[in-house]
Amino acid sequence: MRLIPVVAASVVASTAAYGLALAADVTLELVEPITEYKIYVAENTEELVKDTEEFVAAIKAGDVEKAKSLFAPTRTSYEAVEPIAELFSDLDVSIDARADDYEQGEKDPKFTGFHRIEYVLWEQNTTDGLGEYADQLQADVTDLNDRINSLTFPPEVVVGGAAALMEEVAATKISGEEDRYSRTDLWDFQANFDGSEKIFELLKPIVSEQDPDFVAKVQANFDQVDETLAKYKTDHGFESYEKLTDSDRALLASRVNTLAEDLSTLRGKLGLD
Amino acid sequence: MPDQDPTSTSSAWLLRAGVAGAALLAIAGGAAFYFASQGRQAPQGGQDATVAVTARACEPNELTVPAGKRSFEILNQSDRPVEWEILDGVMVVAERENIAPGFRQTLSARLSPGDYEMTCGLLSNPRGVLHVTHSDEAAEAAATPTLRKLLGPLSEYKFYLIRQSGAMVDQAEALAAAIKAGDLAKARALYEPARVPYKHIEPAVFRFSDLENAIDPVADYLAKREEDPAFTGYHRIEYGLFAENSLDGLDAVADKLVADVTTLKDRLRQLKLSPAFLTENPGAMADQLAQGRIMAGEDHYAHTDLTDLEANLDGIDRIVELLNPVLEPAAPELAAKVSAQREAVRAALDGLRGADGFPPYDTVDEASRKALTEAFENLAAALNQIPDAIGLG
Repeated sequence: MRLIPVVAASVVASTAAYGLALAADVTLELVEPITEYKIYVAENTEELVKDTEEFVAAIKAGDVEKAKSLFAPTRTSYEAVEPIAELFSDLDVSIDARADDYEQGEKDPKFTGFHRIEYVLWEQNTTDGLGEYADQLQADVTDLNDRINSLTFPPEVVVGGAAALMEEVAATKISGEEDRYSRTDLWDFQANFDGSEKIFELLKPIVSEQDPDFVAKVQANFDQVDETLAKYKTDHGFESYEKLTDSDRALLASRVNTLAEDLSTLRGKLGLD
Repeated sequence: MPDQDPTSTSSAWLLRAGVAGAALLAIAGGAAFYFASQGRQAPQGGQDATVAVTARACEPNELTVPAGKRSFEILNQSDRPVEWEILDGVMVVAERENIAPGFRQTLSARLSPGDYEMTCGLLSNPRGVLHVTHSDEAAEAAATPTLRKLLGPLSEYKFYLIRQSGAMVDQAEALAAAIKAGDLAKARALYEPARVPYKHIEPAVFRFSDLENAIDPVADYLAKREEDPAFTGYHRIEYGLFAENSLDGLDAVADKLVADVTTLKDRLRQLKLSPAFLTENPGAMADQLAQGRIMAGEDHYAHTDLTDLEANLDGIDRIVELLNPVLEPAAPELAAKVSAQREAVRAALDGLRGADGFPPYDTVDEASRKALTEAFENLAAALNQIPDAIGLG
């Protein structure tokens, strides 16, 4: 793993590109939020391992309805920590790749993970043939949990993660293409927002010192997204993505883009460009 | 890692949501003009390399750039959205997601010398190769310690302190439970495991002398030795379990230990770490071990000192491993020396290990203790050069 030295070599501060107004020195105050973020991520991947066990057990018991009901809630702890989880390209592919990533689409045996299982559960309404994929998923999330525990989190990935999650939403969630078989996209949506807002909340005390207006604006946008999503909450989670009205979709799209834009300035504000 | 350059955000948004474009224009002003126009513009100058992703591969499929901050222009010539990544083994070094068909995106990354792979569209497509060659500029930057480079190690060490102190509290509670249940054999078995997490984080505990004196005092330093009212904590419990063979009076001592290690855990969570904390503590810890503790021993009744020492060494190693990415480029000779001395200490300890693990410390003779002491002295001497080599206070 050359990642850390690569990150460590980041001394060529490119503050000139942002002008003096946005240039900032790295502060030791970032240690606490980065540590707290690692705790948050570690708790999520621990939860992911646990929830996957239950999900896999339902699949192996041949209980299609139970497996379907556990699909979305199991995924959320992965979606919330994607900025870090995605650093491991092999596991990201194995756990969360979509059929589009393969030339043969769903026919490709290498199409594995959550979306393979989702495809079979919803499109074929069975658990037949899923045993191996379920075992693989369990092994992968366990491996992910271990790797994350021993990873020194790169500060720029943590800080940049708030915007990265919003970009992810903008690119694959607004369109409803991520969970195309189950239509459970709103669960992922909420998890991506929660993961992004967590980073923002941890950085807020530092950023609000230099730019309180920015903090207020971002917070207002997060609040509006939360309110909009709350309309689609049910007793057990979220409505199908198809229930999302055009006007709410448009509202979410605009807030997501604004959030992605605003949050992408965090690295510069914190001297981590 | 990728630069989240605000002037090269995903073009896919604009394709997918016209609303988004409107919002950007309203809010981002001049920047939005750039967004709206960046889709199909002519190649921009100034990139270090341009890569086209076709339906089948990257073109070119092999690139060479000098180390340092490099920018790449990625052109999607396939008919699906693509993601372009630079990989170091399985780790993503930089990525640009969701580049729409026909669009171009830029990505910059700070790269160390070495060979990397590039993803090229479909997962079934062959990966490209990116050679990063030596550059004086990058080598000089890599050799200069900065606060930024220490943020990751400091955060990770804080995480380690939190995790280890959680284990310390859990183990102390398990020990207290066995004592209160009247289970002498179980309490004996849990004594040394309860000390291990404490020994891992001992370098950080030195700052809290009140807690250190309550949790880990040795009878040798107390006026009335084992009869002294200040004889509390781990060794008081050890004394009951292994010298008096009795649980008498240990309930209250165990409760106090749990309360003290819980306070310690809370304080460590609040503790603000500085670069000096990380650079100075390994040497201070090794010094303390070398200056008497190894010769005299601490676990006078259970004789588990070698397990303590191993846990201390693991705690020192954790810090050194976190510092190495900064130390190695800045002071390669010192890094090599530290590494050699760590191995020597490890070998000295392992040499004492028998088939059933470490022997009781009262069977470890003076010559062996002297050899261990020397190994830790040499380690301390190397570790104590780290603060100057890294600097940054």
